[in-house]
Amino acid sequence: MSRLQTEVAGNRLRFAGRIDETAQLAPLVGQLPPGPITLVPEDVTFVNSVGLREWIRFVRALRESGHAVTLERVADVLMTQMNLIGELHGLPITSFHAQYECPTCRHEEQPLVDATLPPVACVECGSPMQLADFPERYLTIFRT
Amino acid sequence: MHGERRAQRSLQRLLGATLCRVDVVPDLATATIDEDTIVVVDSAIAMTALDACKRDARAWIAVPGEGLQPADPPAVSALLQAGWDHVVAHPMPLLAEELLATAQKLIRRDCFGLEKYMVWGAEVRAFQLEDAVERDAAVTAIASDVTRVGLPDRIGSLVSVIADELLANALYAAPVDEHGARHRAHDPRDRSRPLAGRDAVTLRWSTDGRYLAIEVRDRWGSIEPAAIEGRLATTKTSTAEGGMGLPLAYACSNQLVVNVAPGALTEVIALLDIRYKPTELARSASFHAFWGDPP
Repeated sequence: MSRLQTEVAGNRLRFAGRIDETAQLAPLVGQLPPGPITLVPEDVTFVNSVGLREWIRFVRALRESGHAVTLERVADVLMTQMNLIGELHGLPITSFHAQYECPTCRHEEQPLVDATLPPVACVECGSPMQLADFPERYLTIFRT
Repeated sequence: MHGERRAQRSLQRLLGATLCRVDVVPDLATATIDEDTIVVVDSAIAMTALDACKRDARAWIAVPGEGLQPADPPAVSALLQAGWDHVVAHPMPLLAEELLATAQKLIRRDCFGLEKYMVWGAEVRAFQLEDAVERDAAVTAIASDVTRVGLPDRIGSLVSVIADELLANALYAAPVDEHGARHRAHDPRDRSRPLAGRDAVTLRWSTDGRYLAIEVRDRWGSIEPAAIEGRLATTKTSTAEGGMGLPLAYACSNQLVVNVAPGALTEVIALLDIRYKPTELARSASFHAFWGDPP
């Protein structure tokens, strides 16, 4: 299981791999340019409770140092866990991956969606897919 | 104890399968309860008498209310916060499977082992950790089996988180020193530590096409279910400062079972239902705490 990889490109910070006890997030705060920051955790594959705590502290540190933080293309595994944490509610998120299932052929995938949870066509049979979980598992974080 | 006749009949037949005497009553006031009674209560009635679970009985079990429909998350949280050791959240048929297993574990005073939740014939796999740094290898082993079975990525992702958290709990939260202090709680989690004697930790898992069960055992028996229940009930408002591992495992499960032989053995079993979509089940997971002698 791969350790967390990060890549800074301008005001965008991409994440790939595991957010766990090996993830070094705090030093990233000092490496970012001033102004708004977009976090792109699309390729995060695993988050445990220690990693989630580090992620919360990282987001908190960014905000406390004056950055306006936006999240984009959030991995499903991180999105559902962030929804459990009250401190993160209201965090701007423009898009995220969510678990969808086709009621016809039971194909599952994680398309990129936004808070409207739009309909998605099944890539295998073309039927309209449905969100495979309760909407609040993804949308609680949008409440302030 | 249920206010609805149809639900009363369902519960009576279900519990009657234990061949123990089953008395059906409409409310708490008409119930005769002693220390050997297993009390099964409609959660709507339980919500009006949250402290009832403090009365002497072998166990207090809250089950879904009207129409045996899935329990509401606020009700599950309130019952856990009040100290109910058994809260069943799911509708039929999970309710039947879960309630019968729970009742028999209590009746037979035999609580340990994931086999009690699997049908006969299900293979059980095990990973005995020789060192604390083998946690990743153990999680990889179970994740690999999930893929081999053909379960979707969604289940694989949940299984990895649950196994990782239960193992971390056994490795770092369970060990206590002679004063009862949890002296491993702040150990670096990437440090090697040979696991022998009381430090031994075992991961087992199994699936029978209905459930996927993940079981982690430690030899400390130091877990306090009452303390856990309070944390499970407050996950959503957590500030994420401390004690998030078991609440996260609970949030990823459909049923979390804690079996304790105080001072000797703790076994935590997480069950995932792999038949139904999450939206066909309850929004909250069920929780059970049992005490017993080690096997």
